[in-house]
Amino acid sequence: MTDQSLHLGDFTSSAKSGAAVPKYYGEALVALGHERPEVVALTGDLSPATECDLFRDTFPDRFFTPGIAEANMIGVAAGMARSGDMPFVHTFCVFMSRRAFDQVAMQVAYPRTNVKLAGFLPGLTTLLGVSHQAIEDVAMMRALPNMTVIEPCGGRQIAAAVRAAADFDGPVYLRLHRPSAAVPAGVPPLPLEIGKGQLLRDGKDAVIFAAGHTVDEALAAAESLEAAHGLQVAVANMHTLKPFDRDFVSDLARRTGTVITAENHSIVGGLGSAVAETLMEAGIAARFRRLGVRDRFAEGGSTPYLFDKYGFSAPHIATACLDLLKRSGR
Amino acid sequence: MDQRSNRMSRAELAQRAAKIRRLVVEMVGRNGQGYVQQGLGAADLFTYLWFAEANLDPALPDWPERDRIFLSTAHNSAVFHATLAERGLIAADRLESYTRDGSELEINVSERLGPMVEATCGSLGQGLSVACGVALSARRHGKPHRSYVILGDGELQEGQTWEAAMFAAAKGLSNLCLIVDVNDLQVEGSTQNVVRMEPIDEKFAAFGWAVHSLDGHDFDALEEAFDAARRTTDRPSVLLARTLVGKGVPFLEGQMSHNLVFPEDVAARAMAVLEAAR
Repeated sequence: MTDQSLHLGDFTSSAKSGAAVPKYYGEALVALGHERPEVVALTGDLSPATECDLFRDTFPDRFFTPGIAEANMIGVAAGMARSGDMPFVHTFCVFMSRRAFDQVAMQVAYPRTNVKLAGFLPGLTTLLGVSHQAIEDVAMMRALPNMTVIEPCGGRQIAAAVRAAADFDGPVYLRLHRPSAAVPAGVPPLPLEIGKGQLLRDGKDAVIFAAGHTVDEALAAAESLEAAHGLQVAVANMHTLKPFDRDFVSDLARRTGTVITAENHSIVGGLGSAVAETLMEAGIAARFRRLGVRDRFAEGGSTPYLFDKYGFSAPHIATACLDLLKRSGR
Repeated sequence: MDQRSNRMSRAELAQRAAKIRRLVVEMVGRNGQGYVQQGLGAADLFTYLWFAEANLDPALPDWPERDRIFLSTAHNSAVFHATLAERGLIAADRLESYTRDGSELEINVSERLGPMVEATCGSLGQGLSVACGVALSARRHGKPHRSYVILGDGELQEGQTWEAAMFAAAKGLSNLCLIVDVNDLQVEGSTQNVVRMEPIDEKFAAFGWAVHSLDGHDFDALEEAFDAARRTTDRPSVLLARTLVGKGVPFLEGQMSHNLVFPEDVAARAMAVLEAAR
């Protein structure tokens, strides 16, 4: 007999049992499903962890379970897209990239099939350890021709990211995370326009480019720098990692002269690299520091612990900012 | 609309296959090396599939109701392009550009060629998965078209093929038909000596497929198996078609070379044999 009080748990949200955190992604996908009959969902045995259980329960005929076989799942999705469906594919970021990269390259990116790759557990956000921590997925996806890479910043921007991905005709990699807490009442949702950097806080002394999880870390760092040092530090949400908003980045870099990047990802090939490429090619000589996973593998742990240990939590960002400004003599 | 109403006679099919073999020899011969052995081996199979089995309209290569044919062994490109030209799906004069710089007729078939290439499959193991997705969508939308996939026995070593085999059977994709070109040939030599895949029939049967083992040069056997596959409504079907590499040119038959060095004089000898058989 099944004990109805037991339910399926997972390690993807750090929300305490019983805490009501909305399924922002799952709800957005269901809303899309109501509007567009071509939307279908596939999952590599990870429905609750990727929130597509809501879609499963709402549209059982449009929900497909290829099982624990990601390579095949990508091919199946590509075949469905070639037949006019709009598949949203669900697994963890590591398996979408490391596990099924050739399939993504050849069956999604190259032919521009209209497949939306919804990856969860970005970077160091899980207890599940190194096998489940995607620290190079942005670098890999960014290197693929035809691929659009979007990482919304938390619950307030997930719905806009899903909408933008659906409105875009072609392959999109969504780098997603289940928020550990509900968006506080009164905080408005953030829009998302593909390819447009988003200035969340202006400032003349320095700029922090962030994406996903590190946006809140960057905002906290900027607030502490203002409170403790009277510094005006800008924070930019680079929700679209490809195509990258080079003009926006160049303008902010020129204006402030001091640039920090903070990413929940390896410093090789991700946001920091994209900013560095932009600055070099624009001929901008700024004081510059990349914060992120410094070319090493991590281990399982809580998100705050790992962000601090690997050097891209708010205090690390603030320290890096002060260090760069001190070197500039300010 | 069924474009297959005028099924060809055996004699016509044999003539088409002979023409395709001559084209393969010509195309690879121009290149000095290439996939001539597999092309000659698969010519009968390709002929039957494109001329007698699949529902295609040469005037409308992207006809939405066409049957889909996926060439997962995308390197078997000489026979593929030759068959498309002979079937009228590409202009015959395009064959001359095969493998040349800038040509859409690449040595690994790519969809740069046009809608008659259903997916770009040079990376082995991927074709069956995409075909599963197309078959699944066809069923979801109540469309009658069927999906055919050609892959090789060596390619069965790719694990993704078996992920797809599990999936197709689990989802009961009876509108999917796989043709394994069992030519026992891979780069390292005989498939049986590299990683033995036999008994292939028992493997697919255990995975839940309808299995037909046959001689891939026998049009009667091909017709019987394809017809049986059409009548199967609860599971996918696989045709294990045994073929002889180099078929039709006695001095090439059985020569186990994945990428045969095929200089002009050898190509000319092969062509002479094929011409003599006309």
